[in-house]
Amino acid sequence: MFEATFMRLALVASIAASVPLSVIGVYLIIRRVVFLGLVLANAATVGAAVALVFGWSPEISAVVAALTTALGMGALPSPHRVSGESITAWAYAAAASAAVLILAGATAADADTLHLLYGNVLAVSPGHATGLVVVALVIGIVHVLFGSRFLLVTFDAEAAHVAGVNTRLWVIGLNLSIGAAAAAAVHEIGALLTFALLTLAPMASLLITRRIRTTFVVSAAIGIAAVGVGLAMAFQLDLPPGPVSVALLASTVVIAAIASRWQE
Amino acid sequence: MSAAIPQAGPEPRSVVRAEHLTLGYRHRVVVQELSFEIHQRAILGIVGPNGCGKTTLLRTILGLVKPLRGTIDRDPRLIISYVPQRDRLDTMLPITAYEVALMGCTARAGVLRGAKATDRDAARRALIRVGVESLGPQLFRNLSGGQQQRVLLARALAAEPDVLVLDEPTAGMDIASEAAILAFLEDLNRTRGVTILIVTHLLSLVLNFATSIMLMGADEILHGPVDEILREDRLTALYRTPVHLGRVGGQRILVVGSRDTRHV
Repeated sequence: MFEATFMRLALVASIAASVPLSVIGVYLIIRRVVFLGLVLANAATVGAAVALVFGWSPEISAVVAALTTALGMGALPSPHRVSGESITAWAYAAAASAAVLILAGATAADADTLHLLYGNVLAVSPGHATGLVVVALVIGIVHVLFGSRFLLVTFDAEAAHVAGVNTRLWVIGLNLSIGAAAAAAVHEIGALLTFALLTLAPMASLLITRRIRTTFVVSAAIGIAAVGVGLAMAFQLDLPPGPVSVALLASTVVIAAIASRWQE
Repeated sequence: MSAAIPQAGPEPRSVVRAEHLTLGYRHRVVVQELSFEIHQRAILGIVGPNGCGKTTLLRTILGLVKPLRGTIDRDPRLIISYVPQRDRLDTMLPITAYEVALMGCTARAGVLRGAKATDRDAARRALIRVGVESLGPQLFRNLSGGQQQRVLLARALAAEPDVLVLDEPTAGMDIASEAAILAFLEDLNRTRGVTILIVTHLLSLVLNFATSIMLMGADEILHGPVDEILREDRLTALYRTPVHLGRVGGQRILVVGSRDTRHV
C-alpha cells in the first residue's frame, strides 16, 4: 500500500508530526496542563481559518496564532481566584468557537474547512511533508540541547529560580515548542489527532516506563506506531486515518494502564 | 521594627538585609514595616502560628515574590540553596533520587553544559551525607515522605551552598529522623559555616537548634537571640493557649496547653 507516492508522503508527514508531539506532550502530562495542547491545536486552526478568509498562507498563519497563544499562556501570571486550568479551559472554548465561527463564514472553502478541522494527511504535498520534517528536527534539537532545563523547571520551578534559572523564560520556551509542533501538525493531521498525540502517547508511556529518558523514547515509539498502523488500517478498511490513529492511541492507553497494574 | 541578629564569629558578613518591608499579595498585606539583617553562620528559625506570613517572608528572602514596599538585598556572591516542602513538588516525573540530587548541580551550570563527573560525584556525596545513598537508584516518587525530604536536602547540599533555606524540613519524619536532620544541619553550620534559615510552624523544632529566632505574630514580629525572644507570656498571648518554657538536662522544653490538654 505504500507504493503510492501519496501514501509514502502521508507516512512521512504522520511520523514527522507524531514524534515531536508525543515527546513534548510528556511535559504537558507531567505539568498537568494537558488542555494546553488542545488550546494550541485550536489556536492553530483559528490562525489557519483566518488565513483562509483573507487569502493568506494557512501554514504561516497557524504557526503565528499557535506561537502567540503559547507565548500568552506562558506569560500569564498565576491567577488567585480561579485555577490556571480554568484559564486554559476558557482559552480552549474561545479558540474552538472562534475556529468554527470563522470557518462558517468562509463559504467558499468547504474542502479546506474540513481539512482544517479534521486534517487530511492523504492529501499532504511534498513541501508540507518536508516542512513537518524540518519542524520535527528543530524541536528535536531544542529538546536534546535544553531537555535538562525543561525537566528542571517542570520538577521544581521555585528551587530552579532560586538557583538562578529564568523559569518563566523556559516555561515560555517549552510552550513555544509545543505551539510550533501543534501548529505545524494541525493543518495536516487535524486538531483531534494533534491533541491525541500530545496527550495519549505520553500518557501510555508514563504508565509503563520508570525512567524519564525511556518515557520520551517510548512515547515517540507509540506515536509513530499509532499513526503508521492507523494509516495502514485506514487504507485497508477505507476509513479516515486520523480517527483510526486516535482510536489506536486510546486503546494503547487502556493496554498501558492494564500493564501498569500488572507491573505493580 | 528593626534589629540585627547577633552571631558568633569575627565580623560576620551580612547575608540578607531587609529594610521597611511590606509583604503580601495584591491588596492583602501580610507583613508591614519589617527590617532585619541576617549574618553569615546564623541559624535563624522563623516561627509563628499559621497564616502569620512565614512562607511569604521566606519566598521574599528567596526572591520568589517581590515585596510590596521596601527593599531586600542578598549578597550576590553567596550560593543560596532551597529545600521546599516535599508535598509541594510534582512527583509524577519518573526520576530517581540520584537525578534529583544531581539537579542541585546542573541548575547552576551553563545552559548547554551537561552533568560532568564532578557534578555526579557531588550528587553522590550529598546523598551519602544525608544518609540516603542506597536510595539513589530508586524513583523519587516511590520514597517515603522523610526519605524524599532527605533527598531534597541532598539536592540543596550538592550545590555546596553558603546559605541553606528550609521550609518545614522535618515534615513527615519520625522523631529519630528529625533529630538526625537537625544534628546534621547543626554540624553543617559549625564545620562549614553554612547559614541556615529554617521556617517551621513547630516552635519546639527550633528551640534548641536555632541561634536566633524570628517570631512572627499578627501584630508584631520579634527577632533576636532565642532566650530573649521566647518568653512564656509572649508565646501564650501569640498562640492564645498556655505555653510553659523550662529546661531539662540543659535543653529547652516547651509545654503547651492547660492541665487537661497538655502536650510537650
